[in-house]
Amino acid sequence: MTETEKMRDERGSNAAAEDIKAGGEQTEPGSLNRPSGYTGKRNRIFMLMSLPAIVWYLCFCYLPMFGILFAFKHFTPKPGEFLLKNLFINSPWAGLDNFSFLLRSSDMSGIIWNTLFYNFFFIILGIAIPVFIAIFLTEIHSVKFKGFIQMVMVLPYFLSWVIVGYLVYAFLATNEGQVNHLMRIFVMEGIQWYQSPGYWRVILIITELWKSTGYAMIIYLCAVTAIDRSLYEGAVLDGATFLQRVRYITLPHLRPTICTVFILRIGTILNSDFGLFYQVPLDSGSLQSVTQTLDVYVYKALMQQANFSFSAATSFLQSIVGFVLLMVTNRIIKAIDSESSLF
Amino acid sequence: MSERLFKKTGMRFLMALIPVFSVLFTGCGKKEEADGVINLRFVTYQAVDVPLDIKEVMEKANAISQEKIGVTVDLEFQPGDKINLMMASGEYYDMVYTSSWINNYDKNASAGLYYDITDLVKEKTPELYEYVDPYWDCAAVNGRIYGVPLLKDMGAEEMFRLNADYFEGEKGMVIPERMTIRDIEPFLEVYKKDFPDKFPLEMTKSGPGGYLNFLERIVNPIVVVPFGDGQEAEEVVPFYECEELVEKFRLFHKWYKAGYIHPDAATIESTASDKSIPVRFGVAWKGYQGYSNPEEWGFNVKISTFEGPFLSRSSGQGAMFGVSAACDEKHAEACLKYMELLSTDKKFRDILAYGIEGKHFEYLENGTVLRTPAGRDRYYLMLYQTGPSAAASVESVSRSFLADPDQWKGVFEEYETEGIHSALNGFSYDQTGKEDIIAALQAIYSDYGAELRTGTSDPDVVLPEIKRRMEAAGMDELLQDIRSQLSEWNRSKETGEKGISNDGN
Repeated sequence: MTETEKMRDERGSNAAAEDIKAGGEQTEPGSLNRPSGYTGKRNRIFMLMSLPAIVWYLCFCYLPMFGILFAFKHFTPKPGEFLLKNLFINSPWAGLDNFSFLLRSSDMSGIIWNTLFYNFFFIILGIAIPVFIAIFLTEIHSVKFKGFIQMVMVLPYFLSWVIVGYLVYAFLATNEGQVNHLMRIFVMEGIQWYQSPGYWRVILIITELWKSTGYAMIIYLCAVTAIDRSLYEGAVLDGATFLQRVRYITLPHLRPTICTVFILRIGTILNSDFGLFYQVPLDSGSLQSVTQTLDVYVYKALMQQANFSFSAATSFLQSIVGFVLLMVTNRIIKAIDSESSLF
Repeated sequence: MSERLFKKTGMRFLMALIPVFSVLFTGCGKKEEADGVINLRFVTYQAVDVPLDIKEVMEKANAISQEKIGVTVDLEFQPGDKINLMMASGEYYDMVYTSSWINNYDKNASAGLYYDITDLVKEKTPELYEYVDPYWDCAAVNGRIYGVPLLKDMGAEEMFRLNADYFEGEKGMVIPERMTIRDIEPFLEVYKKDFPDKFPLEMTKSGPGGYLNFLERIVNPIVVVPFGDGQEAEEVVPFYECEELVEKFRLFHKWYKAGYIHPDAATIESTASDKSIPVRFGVAWKGYQGYSNPEEWGFNVKISTFEGPFLSRSSGQGAMFGVSAACDEKHAEACLKYMELLSTDKKFRDILAYGIEGKHFEYLENGTVLRTPAGRDRYYLMLYQTGPSAAASVESVSRSFLADPDQWKGVFEEYETEGIHSALNGFSYDQTGKEDIIAALQAIYSDYGAELRTGTSDPDVVLPEIKRRMEAAGMDELLQDIRSQLSEWNRSKETGEKGISNDGN
């Protein structure tokens, strides 16, 4: 049993004991006689608090689950008949036919490679950089300056990709862009950025990190702040340097959080942020060899067709791969360090 | 926190789910009609915004249509992807906008989503049948009619719109009424010499407006047939093997290299805000004034046609209305009656097209229409969104610049005399079983499309690459299927009656 589970268990039995006590004092007529220790009063409040989330998941994640059938049917709707009848009765089974369009493309290997490539960097850098910044931010003592840095870093997260796309365009436009403008001042030829695939792997990674780092950092900042300060004080008294404090106090405490984020990110390794890969390169054809990920491909292939069976098949595949990877990663992490695994 | 509250919240939660479930299991209900008046759900394409005064205008229109034919409509505007979703989910509607470019008519008609109106339209609304004739062919799928083509510009005329103040006034050049596409080069050259930092030819990522109109597109824009007389099945080619088109791509690339086209054209969404561009593309019809309002542009615009008019199946299908296959005969007939009223009653048609007389528009002495400022702000629609454009009054752009009220007569006469007709009108390709290939080809096309049509990439470099990739994705299999369907269609045309048959075969 892990430490947290132990804690939870203790808390649960305490609460249960309280409940029995409370139940004994309660003499209100009509109150339900539950088996003692069923759920604590406190747990009830917690459950009530999570109710909106449960409702949300039921409505938007579990209720539409029947949509998986789209992937295995030739969806042929009849007008005026309700969706479930159209799906279950009016549409014939397709077996695995809907998956075949993914294999039709000769670039599928390149597309999968792109998806994995970017996700690999996003996962590694998307954890390393926010952790790094979070640790440094806690070392800053000026509250005002800290707040300012935090705000500046989180702000890009709230911009939509369309806007980010045009911000990038303002820098990289061939004729009016700031970068080419600067290059011309230094008597260099401007670059046709949107026709030069070579630079875009880096540009996309920078853009993604710029947008997501601030938000991701908040989680680690909370975790770092939660670490008992007396540990640091003790370490300072013992003569530990800053790096030693980070190495032996901060990072071990952050490990469970980092592992959780890592496992969750692995689960979506075949998914990609459509906005980043489609809006930011402005759907430029020359760049497709480095910007085309699975989601972008599906959008391009199906935009004109409105074929829901094909898109359902792709999503299904992404989920299956994500699920398998998530389970495997979790198992590996559990084997290395049982306290950091997700379940 | 009491027990009661918990129970209450639980109940609320269940009650909140009830509407979700009921929609899933029953679909959306239909409105009940009172005292014999039929109410139709009429869904049309939302081009830009929903007009602010739509409620007021529809109240007025409904009062008239209720009195004349006992039909009222709920006019609803939906963007293209929403209409697709609506069709796919089997939602109830009575009449829907359908065309070759939004809510694909051929695909939906062959999937059985629309009501077969072949007999109904002749029996119940002969005036409508008469009005649309001879353009029913573009609505024929396997010899049956599933939609009403809206009479508008049925053919596409390709034109340049030039800044006449600059070219004719300042430079003393002459803008002819008709030219070839290459004749524009001296104009571009002159401007580029005067303004080396500017780009004289308007270009966005969607390419020159209507540059594909000279082709019949079997699978848009990947498999095409050049307009010709023979129309043998072998003439169906992938776009990269169509010599005329490749020539055009080469021309665009030449212009791109010469600096006539913006270097980032392949990523530019719109050039509408840059009024200084002296040469723009346009697709319109003879006498159309919408491009030439000097108040809008800040200079006089002169139009020069360089191609067309091309009459293809896709241009004929530019705007249509389909009746839902879920309608009973009563509702289908009401839809056709409404369409008939729109086609034959000019005063009624003008309400949907321009709004309320005196508020949104006024009639000028010669019978044309002038929109008021309120009309421009609060009720501005493209004519084809609400019915046949040709059935409405013609719009003048200003009091001093009057349009010809009989403009459409001239347009349709020109189609008869000068129009270049596609012999393939009436053939629709049934994609069943090849959707996966088409999806893969569309994805490949979208990798190159924008840069080819804007001239950014060199066709002689890129096309061989496209060819290689498309063939790997199953282009030959698709071509074979199209060709065999086309030969079949040609055979049935020779043996049977041409065009629309009277029985269900």
